[in-house]
Amino acid sequence: MKNKPTTARLQGLIACHFCHTLSEFPKVTENTKKGELRCPCCQSIIHSRIPDSLNRTWALLIAAIILYVPANTLPIMTVILWGNGQPDTILSGVIHLFDGGMWPLALLIFIASIFIPILKLIILVGLLLSVQLKSTWKPKDRTILYRITEFIGRWSMVDVFVIAILVALVQFGNTASVSPGLGALSFAAVIILTMFAAHTFDPRLIWDIIDDQIGNEKD
Amino acid sequence: MLECSNMKLIEHSNQNQQVESLSHLACAHCDLIQSLPKMKLGETARCIRCNNVLYRNQKNSLNRSLAFAITGLILFVISNLFPLLSLKAMGLTQEGTLFATSLSLLQADRPFLGLLIFLTTIVFPLTTLLGTIYVLIQVKMNRINKYTAPLFRFLRSTDVWGMLEIFMLAVLVSVVKLGDLADVIFGVSLYSFCLLILSLSLLSSSLNPHDVWNKLRIVKGCQL
Repeated sequence: MKNKPTTARLQGLIACHFCHTLSEFPKVTENTKKGELRCPCCQSIIHSRIPDSLNRTWALLIAAIILYVPANTLPIMTVILWGNGQPDTILSGVIHLFDGGMWPLALLIFIASIFIPILKLIILVGLLLSVQLKSTWKPKDRTILYRITEFIGRWSMVDVFVIAILVALVQFGNTASVSPGLGALSFAAVIILTMFAAHTFDPRLIWDIIDDQIGNEKD
Repeated sequence: MLECSNMKLIEHSNQNQQVESLSHLACAHCDLIQSLPKMKLGETARCIRCNNVLYRNQKNSLNRSLAFAITGLILFVISNLFPLLSLKAMGLTQEGTLFATSLSLLQADRPFLGLLIFLTTIVFPLTTLLGTIYVLIQVKMNRINKYTAPLFRFLRSTDVWGMLEIFMLAVLVSVVKLGDLADVIFGVSLYSFCLLILSLSLLSSSLNPHDVWNKLRIVKGCQL
């Protein structure tokens, strides 16, 4: 068995998220609910683990999953050509691009607007469940999955920006215009909520389970 | 290679309220305390347990970042002055500036979407540029006041909300999408916008936040 890992939590220290100063955890832990702890060096609010991380991430994630339904069923934009309006959902937009022979573009929008959001929701649900079920399965791989979700999530915004650009540019009265739909709003909300969810999830929780287990084995 | 710290750290921490943090730091993703090895310029230290980036040792980080931030600010102004794209169809020309994209959503009765676009393409990129310039100049001139640390903390935490590089990808997608419907004319701003994305990414890769925090700590009397 390896040596007992030296984490800041086991040493009774808190690392500042911003300036990385390690400060000693106050002896009186009961009082910490009232007053926030601050980093002695940069005055940032510090905490050993993000408070209520699992509950907050679940809340944001469930909200995102609920909004994911209107995001995909309601039209994201309506293209009006010669007086005829054609509402498009995310999926029908991708299919139209594909039918029009623009398959590289269809692939890009498919990855950014369908693949990444679903992947992100699945990974975050999986991470939350694995922490709550006290899983010790491949902690390094799960941390890497977390980093991927954190990094990749904002790129889903590309479809929202495309809609904004089309709405701004295609303004030719009745002959051609584009109007944004409610689906675009729900979709933007899904992206923002999952970005916040990834931010409130504390990956250190994955490792706490492993650290505690090694500690118990030693005792 | 990084090595695990030993029990000396604890003894040290009992004597003083804080532990010297630069030689020892806890990984942000798995909390393992590690000591940093002596690093050459351009090297990156990663966590031995979860492979997270612990420390990047950039060459001349503060000066380079300041240069890229100032370049970025000039390009940001130019990018907002002229149209990015123009669309020519049926004898009419429709010009689109960066600001017009958020404004058009507001006019199309989607105020929240408009606000979101406004924040991610104008407000946050601008605060990042202005704030970084302000903090770096203060650090370089040794004129740190009580607002420097909170401002820099705000800049670090709002970094992900500036989405100009994603907007750039959206511009490319729109150009291809509109290509067979109408004539797309590239505006002056599009060229400065490309350079702006370049300087923003160079800024984020050259800026070493540790270098700034080190200066902030010394002034506050926190360096042990």
